[in-house]
Amino acid sequence: MSRISRRDFLKTSAALVASATFARASRILSSAYSPKDDKPNILIFVFDAMSARHLSLYGYTRQTTPNLEKLAERASVYHRHYSAGNFTTSGTASMLTGLYPWTHRAINYRGMISRSLVDRNLFNLIGKEYTRFAFTQNLWADIFLNQFEKDLDFHLPSDSFSQFADSLIQPNDLHADRDLAYFVLQDFLNLRVDDLHPYPGSLFLASADLARALASDRPYISADYPRGLPTNHDFSYENTSVFEGAGRLVQSSILQSSPSLAYFHFWSPHEPYSARKDFIGIFPEDLKSPYKPRHPFAGSDFSDQRLQKYRREYDEFITDVDAEFGQLISNLETSGALQNTYVIVTSDHGELFERGEQGHASALMYAPVLHIPLLISAPGQGTRSDFHSLTSNLDLLPTLLRISGKEIPDWVEGRLLPGFGGIEDASRSIFPMMAKDNAAFRPVEHATFTLIKDAYELFFFTGYPGHPDAFELYYLQEDPDELHDLFRRDITTASQMKDELLEAISTANHNYQKQ
Amino acid sequence: MLKRLPSSQAILQVYAVIAVMFSGWTITAFLWKLSAWLLILNLGEIFTVFSYSMVANLVEGLTVLLLLLTVCVMLPASIFRDDFAVRGTILALGLIGSLMTFVRFHMQFGIESGVRLLIGPLLVLLLAAILLVFPSNLRIVRFLHSAVLWAADRMVVFLYVLVPLYVVLFAYVVVRNMT
Repeated sequence: MSRISRRDFLKTSAALVASATFARASRILSSAYSPKDDKPNILIFVFDAMSARHLSLYGYTRQTTPNLEKLAERASVYHRHYSAGNFTTSGTASMLTGLYPWTHRAINYRGMISRSLVDRNLFNLIGKEYTRFAFTQNLWADIFLNQFEKDLDFHLPSDSFSQFADSLIQPNDLHADRDLAYFVLQDFLNLRVDDLHPYPGSLFLASADLARALASDRPYISADYPRGLPTNHDFSYENTSVFEGAGRLVQSSILQSSPSLAYFHFWSPHEPYSARKDFIGIFPEDLKSPYKPRHPFAGSDFSDQRLQKYRREYDEFITDVDAEFGQLISNLETSGALQNTYVIVTSDHGELFERGEQGHASALMYAPVLHIPLLISAPGQGTRSDFHSLTSNLDLLPTLLRISGKEIPDWVEGRLLPGFGGIEDASRSIFPMMAKDNAAFRPVEHATFTLIKDAYELFFFTGYPGHPDAFELYYLQEDPDELHDLFRRDITTASQMKDELLEAISTANHNYQKQ
Repeated sequence: MLKRLPSSQAILQVYAVIAVMFSGWTITAFLWKLSAWLLILNLGEIFTVFSYSMVANLVEGLTVLLLLLTVCVMLPASIFRDDFAVRGTILALGLIGSLMTFVRFHMQFGIESGVRLLIGPLLVLLLAAILLVFPSNLRIVRFLHSAVLWAADRMVVFLYVLVPLYVVLFAYVVVRNMT
């Protein structure tokens, strides 16, 4: 009799757990729901930290997204789509609420949407006639799904379809008090083995997690993943398993309970950039990019050479993810699951490889970290439509409400997207911001604010210790690399935009000012 | 069965050491995280986080105490029960101290250090074992035993704060999960 290795055992166990979860989802959905009317299904695919500036779909010189380009041939493609934040919390919250970060107040690491605004979310507004399904591998985005729990018909655990969970106890283990259970267990008591600065609150749970991590033969590096398995620093996974799992769920469960709204938020291509071996080395190293000196507000000081390396690894990872996504879409098409379905592809924020900075969530909010993809493929759409006007990820919520035949509430700060009832408004202003170190309950005074209007982009850095407040102005049409600061040269535009931004900040802060 | 258990005073002394060690760790970690939580959680939510943490603490402490009492019941009285306050305290210090060292080493050196993370905890356990095994007629061992007993005795005062706190927070957590 052959001996079963510990790894085989773990894999088998994980497969059984995934199967059980999948079976449970199928059972719940197929028994509880039946087709209601001809309202379309909506599938939202969010790729974490996917910058539009790195997608060949938007003209990037490296051929990173052939499959997205294929989908774009029958989709509406938004060329100037911006996230309202430069990291998961603020970007995702804005997408799901249609509100700016200074309104929903999810502005900090692990932040929550203001408790009084929790009902203002897509799942609640689209209503119970839709079967609402949500899955995210990003634990910070999962905080919101926990907040929206009552508005979800099915909320799949973050580590579904993952073979190598690190934590002994998951937030789903506590149902009755799920919001804060996340904090207590995941953010405090448990040990996050890969966390850079762990300080677990429970010696027992932390030691158990640690011993488990040491005892397992978890392949941090495998033959298929020479740079290590993709991981969100809480659990590792293989994209093939995750995308296959999502595809199976869509095919056999969600679309049978039409109409459905399914939200999939994948961790990839977020760092660490762990592409499969087939995608490593596919791009030459000679990509030319203009020199940008280190920015005084940059949190790190990576050399250009190092940034080029990270950039190449990121591009390889995007290409890997694009291939997996292409397979997923192909399978869904073959199965007929997309017949009455809107497919939406977007991201929560981008990624930055310049001015000494790598990643996101820094004080810098240049276009690569805010400019995100948006594709909407409508049922039966056979041609491509391109939209070049300014749009924001706040616009997704009202647009989806319109698609599903729902009223758009007055409080929504986004607008209908062009092509779905919205107009291409050249005078529109959008206000992305980053205020991760500013208390959510106080006026926003320690932040980077952005105003994007027409082809101009104004940055306002304020409240950073050791730095005086500063403005920067760029004209993106002629200077897409944001190299020439016009703040002291184009005085008229600078003055107008500065006044508009300061007025908007003042209005947003009004309710939080001390009486 | 009850005769095999140590005196309630000795149990109290050992439990005081256990509770102070666990709660000390958790409260330190809590204070370390507090500045970040103040940005995102309101005071009620922070209180809830603290409540869950302390209830987890209570469970951990009682588990270790139960473990020691089980050992006490199983071993001959002369080995463990008769000197439970000292030997139980040393064992608790060894067990909890090794967990602290284990997690601390990870915090310092990361998971990449692999099994080397076990060096610290094993040293702590070895030290505890030495204190337990060496004959108590040795002067230095006698001194250490009396020091341990003195410390355990002083720790009891913290139970006047910790036990009511555990009771209140436990009730709070139960109510939260019932509603």
